[in-house]
Amino acid sequence: MVDKVLSEQGAGSISTTAIRIRESGIERRARFRGLAEPLSLLVALAVLIGVFSLLNERFLTASNFQNVLTQSAIPLIVAVGATLVILLGSIDLSVEGVMGATGMTWILLSANSRGGVDLGPWAWVIALGVALVLGVASGLIFTALKVPSFIVTLGMWYVGLGIATMLYGTDLLPRLEDEGLKGWTSTITFGLPNSFWVALLVIGLGILLLRNTRIGRVTLAIGNSETIVRSAGLPAFRVKVAVFAIAALLSGLGGILATVQLDIGSPTVGSGVLFIVIPAVVIGGTHLGGGKGGILRTVLGVFLLTILNNGLILSGVESSYQSAVTGAILVAAIVFAAWSQRDRLQVAK
Amino acid sequence: MNDVITTPAVLRLDSVSKSFGSNRAVRGVSLNIQSGEVIGLIGENGAGKSTLLKILSGNYRHDEGTIAVNGQAVQFRGPADALRAGIGVVHQEQSLFTNLTVAENIEVNTPIGRGGVNRLGLYNWRRLYADAAKALDLIGSHLNPKTRVSDLSFVDRQMVEIARAIRVSAASHTTPLVILDEPTAILERTETAILEREISKLRDIGSVIFVSHRLDEVMRICDRVVVMRDGELIADRPVDDVTEEELFHLMVGRETHAAVRNRRSIEPTSSPVISIHDLTRAGSYADVSIDAYPGRILAILGTSGSGRESVARAIFGAEGFDSGSVSIAGYSGRQLSIKKAVALGVGYVPAERKTEGMVGEMPADQNITLTHPGSAALGPFELPRRRLSLARMWFEKLDIRPREPEHMLQDFSGGNQQKVVLAKWLNSSNLKALVLDHPLRGLDPGAAETVNAQIRSVCDDGTAIILIPDTIDEALDIADDIVVMRDGRISGVFDLGHDNPATLDLLERML
Repeated sequence: MVDKVLSEQGAGSISTTAIRIRESGIERRARFRGLAEPLSLLVALAVLIGVFSLLNERFLTASNFQNVLTQSAIPLIVAVGATLVILLGSIDLSVEGVMGATGMTWILLSANSRGGVDLGPWAWVIALGVALVLGVASGLIFTALKVPSFIVTLGMWYVGLGIATMLYGTDLLPRLEDEGLKGWTSTITFGLPNSFWVALLVIGLGILLLRNTRIGRVTLAIGNSETIVRSAGLPAFRVKVAVFAIAALLSGLGGILATVQLDIGSPTVGSGVLFIVIPAVVIGGTHLGGGKGGILRTVLGVFLLTILNNGLILSGVESSYQSAVTGAILVAAIVFAAWSQRDRLQVAK
Repeated sequence: MNDVITTPAVLRLDSVSKSFGSNRAVRGVSLNIQSGEVIGLIGENGAGKSTLLKILSGNYRHDEGTIAVNGQAVQFRGPADALRAGIGVVHQEQSLFTNLTVAENIEVNTPIGRGGVNRLGLYNWRRLYADAAKALDLIGSHLNPKTRVSDLSFVDRQMVEIARAIRVSAASHTTPLVILDEPTAILERTETAILEREISKLRDIGSVIFVSHRLDEVMRICDRVVVMRDGELIADRPVDDVTEEELFHLMVGRETHAAVRNRRSIEPTSSPVISIHDLTRAGSYADVSIDAYPGRILAILGTSGSGRESVARAIFGAEGFDSGSVSIAGYSGRQLSIKKAVALGVGYVPAERKTEGMVGEMPADQNITLTHPGSAALGPFELPRRRLSLARMWFEKLDIRPREPEHMLQDFSGGNQQKVVLAKWLNSSNLKALVLDHPLRGLDPGAAETVNAQIRSVCDDGTAIILIPDTIDEALDIADDIVVMRDGRISGVFDLGHDNPATLDLLERML
């Protein structure tokens, strides 16, 4: 038993030192890795801004800057919720449906060209209540009946859209009557558009939720391993439903703001938002498998995509090409974002 | 077992039994553990150890008998009850949230980690970190509680698990009983030394039940060893009164094979099956040259940062490399793919059996014919009946139990799964080389021996074996050549045909 003698002689202490040295290296590298990813996003953002400002002098102006912020506000609000859902390892595709249903409910209960009732602040409460019901329904069906979130929320998208279409009916389109609200979203307060202030508030609350509350921490834990969460006795069920509810509430808020911005009620008020939100989360570096990522990264992702859109329009890319160009750039960006994590035996599903 | 000592035992089991249907997994187990004792629990896979542990951790309820903790009879309704009583289990599979901090993982079962929030309704991170640091300090670990678990080495992760296991009882000032379920199975030899030291520190604050397949470790760490076989506790001995051989005999019910390999030096006429030359992968290993000859077992030794696993995976094409060359049976390519390697007759038994080595939700017989259908194939088709008889042959030959190849592979025990994975490659008619990455990981001594015997016999049939062993002893036991790696470079080459390196020589070259 040479081994026995050895460990008694203190071979252990040599190895301890060797391992500690190596580990301090690992720790340093890990810290660098944590910084490198958002950094590369910032670089991409800077390059994009540089290229577009060379292509068009109108791009780098204060008014266009405010324009971009207004455009990004609603996707940002919705993306905070989407990030939380994706951190769970699930996905929420119902975004546009929830936006439509909430937006329609809100405008029909506020002062609008169709007349009817004006419930004032109660319109907000009821409209967001509709969003909450849709979100809790998705969450419960997903959690209790163990149906993949992909399918549940895909269905809920159309349920939301259907509710909005029913509310819309065959009548004339409802126009916003409240003069104080018209154009409110793009009105500038302290240099930034109002809707962007709302987005900042939502981002702040989202970060706080994720970092400093039980829901946030358990969300991350579920994304890592739900089996361990359950065996540790943590409330996986409640947190999952809560996250879907929060995401739907934020989609609903986005729906109301989009209605205000559009000035009219429309079931398809959220059209195109999903296509910005999900890629933004992924480009930001949040893993679709859950557990890793964060809200600030998503914010960068949203900016990247909004600036891309805005820049393409200003650079005079013909609108008929635009979807194809945006789509292609999106795919390229996602390949680029995932490049560093490739592994030969990796399986993508 | 005497009751002369007046203080109540930390844990006392009285004829505890548990059945699953007609299967009596645990039968009338009685055991006494005093404060400060380290008990070794050994037994073959399927001997009932896991069931017993799950009863103690509150995951299963026992059917008969009584359990008393600190003199009080208890009935656990769930893992939380067991934790409150001071019993913490460190499971075989690590159960940490790798994306969260060390502190959160340790505090997950305490009020603060469960949302013990401050006045604003938010997490109290400062208290979380402080409490976790205290728990780590208690077991003598100096990990930073703010580190993310994914950045820790395996041995440090084990420390986090231990800290979590004692955390609840430390808060309520009860004596903790920590159950370590094969904590060393996935650790390198050097890391095990660290863990051993930490376990001896646990002695000062509580008791330990240490489950392991490595008998030498059990002898070194524990005060007393209890042996389980077929659900019964068949022996309870102080370590000073037993030898490793006796324990093996008690556990398996048969003698160890004192198989000594006949080693010869490389014959000058033979040419290597696998020859790698100046293989380099930035940040992992550099200038590695190894030749593996037919009929010889080449073991690569090294610690977890040595890059030996990466080299092994490069040979099989599972990882790329930056420069150098790998030639297999005369074929030499810049970048090798797994497909090419398999076509050339290379087999690979990965360390991560469950994720890379097997398809759990597929019957065992289909797993065997997955890569090389052999006689089960008729053109593009596979004949189920022939496949089954082929699988039966392998089940017989490798002593895979139970002899039911039509069952899902995930339902077999670890040792038997590993034998199926091995059979998958042995089923090839053209096996030239076999790369074995920790083939004995998590296997009980009985299963390990069958696997080793099979490796030897394949080798004697003219296959070259490249082995990444768990321990130095494993290498000295079975290998013909030993290559030692340190920090990505080769630090020693021994031909056991004429060299006779001591364990110390090898260890020195590893560190």
